Amino acid sequence: MKITYNWLKDFVAITLAPRELAERLTMAGLEVVSIEEQRGDFIFEIEITSNRPDWLSVVGIAREVAALTNKTLKLSEPRPLLKTGRHQLAIEVQGKKDCPLYTAKLIEGVKVGPSPQWLRQRLELIGCRSINSIVDITNYILFEWGEPLHAFDFDTLQAGTIIVRRAQKEEKIVTIDGIERQLTPDVLVIADASSPVAVAGVMGGRKTEVGEATTRILLEAAVFNPIVVRRGRRMLGLESESAYRFERGVDIAIVQEASLRAARLIEQVTGGTISAVKNAGTAKVPTRRIVLEATHLKRALAVEIPAGTIKGILERLDCEVKAISQKKYAVDIPSFRQDVKLEVDLIEEIARIFGYGRIPRTIPRIKPQIDHKDDTAVHRSLKEILIGLGLNEVVTYSLVEKGRANAAGQDTDKEIAIANPLSKDQAVLRTTLLPSLAQCVAYNLRQKQPYIAIFEIAHTYALDVTVKVQERYKLGVALCGGRLLWLGKDRAYDEASLLHIKGILEVLFERLGIEKNAYRFVMKSTYEGEVYVHGALVGTLVALRKEALEKFDIKNKEVVEAEIDVKTLLSLASLKRRFAPFPRMPGVTRDTTVIVKDNIPAGEILGAINRWGTSNSEGLLQGVEISKYYKGEQIPGDAKGLTISCTYCSSERTLTDGEINSLHAQLVDELKKIFNATIR
Amino acid sequence: MDIEAIKNQITSDLKDLGSLQGLEEVRVKYLGRKGLIAQLTSSIPSLPDEERASFGRKVNEFKSSLLALLDEKQKAFLAGQEGVNANTIDIGMPGIAPELGHLHPITKIIHEVCAIFRQMGFSIVEGPEIETEFNNFTGLNIPLEHPSRDVFDTFYLATKDTLLLRSHTSPVQIRAMKSHKPPLAIVVPGRVYRPDAVDASHSFMFHQIEGFVVDTDITFADLKGTLEFFAKAVFGKDISMRFRPHFFPFTEPSAEVDISCILCKGKGCSLCGRKGWLEILGSGMIHPNVFKHVGYDPKEYTGFAFGMGVERIALLKYGIDDIRLFFENDLRFLKQF
Repeated sequence: MKITYNWLKDFVAITLAPRELAERLTMAGLEVVSIEEQRGDFIFEIEITSNRPDWLSVVGIAREVAALTNKTLKLSEPRPLLKTGRHQLAIEVQGKKDCPLYTAKLIEGVKVGPSPQWLRQRLELIGCRSINSIVDITNYILFEWGEPLHAFDFDTLQAGTIIVRRAQKEEKIVTIDGIERQLTPDVLVIADASSPVAVAGVMGGRKTEVGEATTRILLEAAVFNPIVVRRGRRMLGLESESAYRFERGVDIAIVQEASLRAARLIEQVTGGTISAVKNAGTAKVPTRRIVLEATHLKRALAVEIPAGTIKGILERLDCEVKAISQKKYAVDIPSFRQDVKLEVDLIEEIARIFGYGRIPRTIPRIKPQIDHKDDTAVHRSLKEILIGLGLNEVVTYSLVEKGRANAAGQDTDKEIAIANPLSKDQAVLRTTLLPSLAQCVAYNLRQKQPYIAIFEIAHTYALDVTVKVQERYKLGVALCGGRLLWLGKDRAYDEASLLHIKGILEVLFERLGIEKNAYRFVMKSTYEGEVYVHGALVGTLVALRKEALEKFDIKNKEVVEAEIDVKTLLSLASLKRRFAPFPRMPGVTRDTTVIVKDNIPAGEILGAINRWGTSNSEGLLQGVEISKYYKGEQIPGDAKGLTISCTYCSSERTLTDGEINSLHAQLVDELKKIFNATIR
Repeated sequence: MDIEAIKNQITSDLKDLGSLQGLEEVRVKYLGRKGLIAQLTSSIPSLPDEERASFGRKVNEFKSSLLALLDEKQKAFLAGQEGVNANTIDIGMPGIAPELGHLHPITKIIHEVCAIFRQMGFSIVEGPEIETEFNNFTGLNIPLEHPSRDVFDTFYLATKDTLLLRSHTSPVQIRAMKSHKPPLAIVVPGRVYRPDAVDASHSFMFHQIEGFVVDTDITFADLKGTLEFFAKAVFGKDISMRFRPHFFPFTEPSAEVDISCILCKGKGCSLCGRKGWLEILGSGMIHPNVFKHVGYDPKEYTGFAFGMGVERIALLKYGIDDIRLFFENDLRFLKQF
């Protein structure tokens, strides 16, 4: 909200320079975001928090300045209203809850024209466009006192009648901005005998707008229900200074006075006369009394504030304070402070004026707890492992376009839609991270990155079979392109493949204490595979199909991805470590190259060797590894060569060559038998 | 291949030799069981009688001269390994090591902030991003139809039950307090959502870190001390701080926390909008109504809570000027952290 320095000075003697004043206001909770010097005045832009509608006026802020600087507020009384009564005004309020107070004044003989210079300038400085003298005066009082007013051209009101009621179905109104608006019974309106003439508390209607030809006006000052005003305004998609104040709460006690000040000003500026007055409802507000205990104040703020200071602060804030006992006060709250409801609200007021800066700083004695499960610690270590493998972490949007799951070959009927999306690119919650990662890959390919290795750990969201919302942590990994690796003096190009993804997951499994024989990678097709740990499905492998690559506009590149359900994976991990004795003798390795048919998976051969080792080697076979894989001229086209390195070791003795050779020969025979392998 | 050709090949092989292992390879190539010398020897029986003796002698001579040469080379390697390396390694070449990846700057800030609070004894807890109106609003003393809700504009889900994407991390306060009794000292990092159009300073998805402490005797002074420790740990001990009264529905008294501008040190610059101060946190004493909603007795317990925007901290700390960079995931951006 904008106010000016000189306008404030009408109500309080200010001895502070504008900048100092701004600083004081900011530190009292009215953050001055800018000061601008213009036409001999200073315009303050202040952010008013939604709990303080009483600060949405010059007088309200002047009152705060007075409290902060220990001055008194300068208020002149408007000339009192003598009995008038030439006219009888017809006012009907249909719901007291919607409109607890409605006041109307008829002012006759007005001459509507441009406003005097002083009035124009004040409004213009705070960014309010001058319309005509009547409208300007209602705005002036609105900004000065915080009470929204409305002036109707009385002669355009059908039967000179005002009815405050809900709109009927199908009723319409053309508001002063010239737009025809469809109303509903949710909207509170001011109507004349025939139709709505204003949206109550929000905006006036064109039909009864005050113009140059107007001679008689009906001046409205009322209080409308904040929720009703808010619903109506939101439904109609309107914003106005008046609705802004009604929604936050207007001080009912100020309505009559603000109305009279406006009427008197209208008389003075336009030459009219108040000729009739009518009120519906009551301006009475019950006084709120709160008991404040000094011990509570000390308990909250950790500072002993002297009794005199406490009383002084509250009185400067227009509270009436009576001591009940030595450390207990009964505090009566002024009507404009609807936000002060509890003792803590008073504690804040005292702290605010006393100064937050004067409250000491201490470190609490925190009692650490061990029963809070900290998933972030495990995620942190997963992330550290992944960056150790050369992957870069990305953060992508959880909201994606509808049908996105398709690109990852997943069901789209599990997608949860956003009821009020900003755009169609963010219409649903993602069920998988994979398309987002593919999009990241595509972006970086466009930036000519030769090698892209990324991961993300984030939630995915889906409807389960019972249409319940499921939220799960997933790890997504994507690789694309290749990199040059140094091999001795040469560089070799290493292109990312599903085996690289597998390698990354194997490292993770190893770190999570998942043993080699506990996990399994299974390809369902050339493009999709599954990952199992202890027989449970923990994730998927994907090599993007051509259609998917095209969707992301990726050309001449392969993208391989994996998605792992983090929670399932962690539930299968065994992070506890126990020392296992290991053989003190070095092992002896025997290499054998076997040639087998292509359709025999390497995993099966390794499995067979391990099984053989368990049952036939008396624990001497300690390790098996595939150290070479080749195809080529020396072997048949439908076969592959695998060099298998077996390590034999005993923890008790040094094995003899003869012993190892005979053991290894048995193994080789076994392989020949099972896989019909030939040996080179 | 004749002896002369083999001699030439040996000369060139030995010239390129870089290591002992290479030398071993040369030895196998020429002197191994299937080596070139063995091939020469094996060709002897097929020679005419009169050539066999002299060829055999030549091969033997060649073999012993080669053995001597390799021995000499090996000695040279063992004796002057440094010298040899100096000749073959160009230390100006890039070092050989696997390339490490990088954590996202948002993760780095979250880790840093959480570590500071963990040091003070806080626990780290997370919560779901899909929330109820109660946890996101009502339980936090935010009326559903009130202007105080406007800053928490929210994405709703098109589901049967009324569900929403949390617009702040504060719902985790409600969850944690409902499931645990005090004392509590908890920090909650996570994603939050608000329907804001994307520009340099707005995003419909961003991250917050929430923290709160509840016990029988927690004071506003504790809030100030804790947040001062935090801010100085992140931004350096030379910063100054101020606590400004503010309004949040879930705290009373409430305060916004500013630090002196890290760029101009409080003189006023474009980063701080000429104010000399940068707002980094919202905070306050937990409102008694929040305690009532979770079944705590406000007479027995007090507590403070605070929240911050992770992107905001990252922007300030790393000097980033556009929030969109965080979600674009350009590797040239990510590799800087």
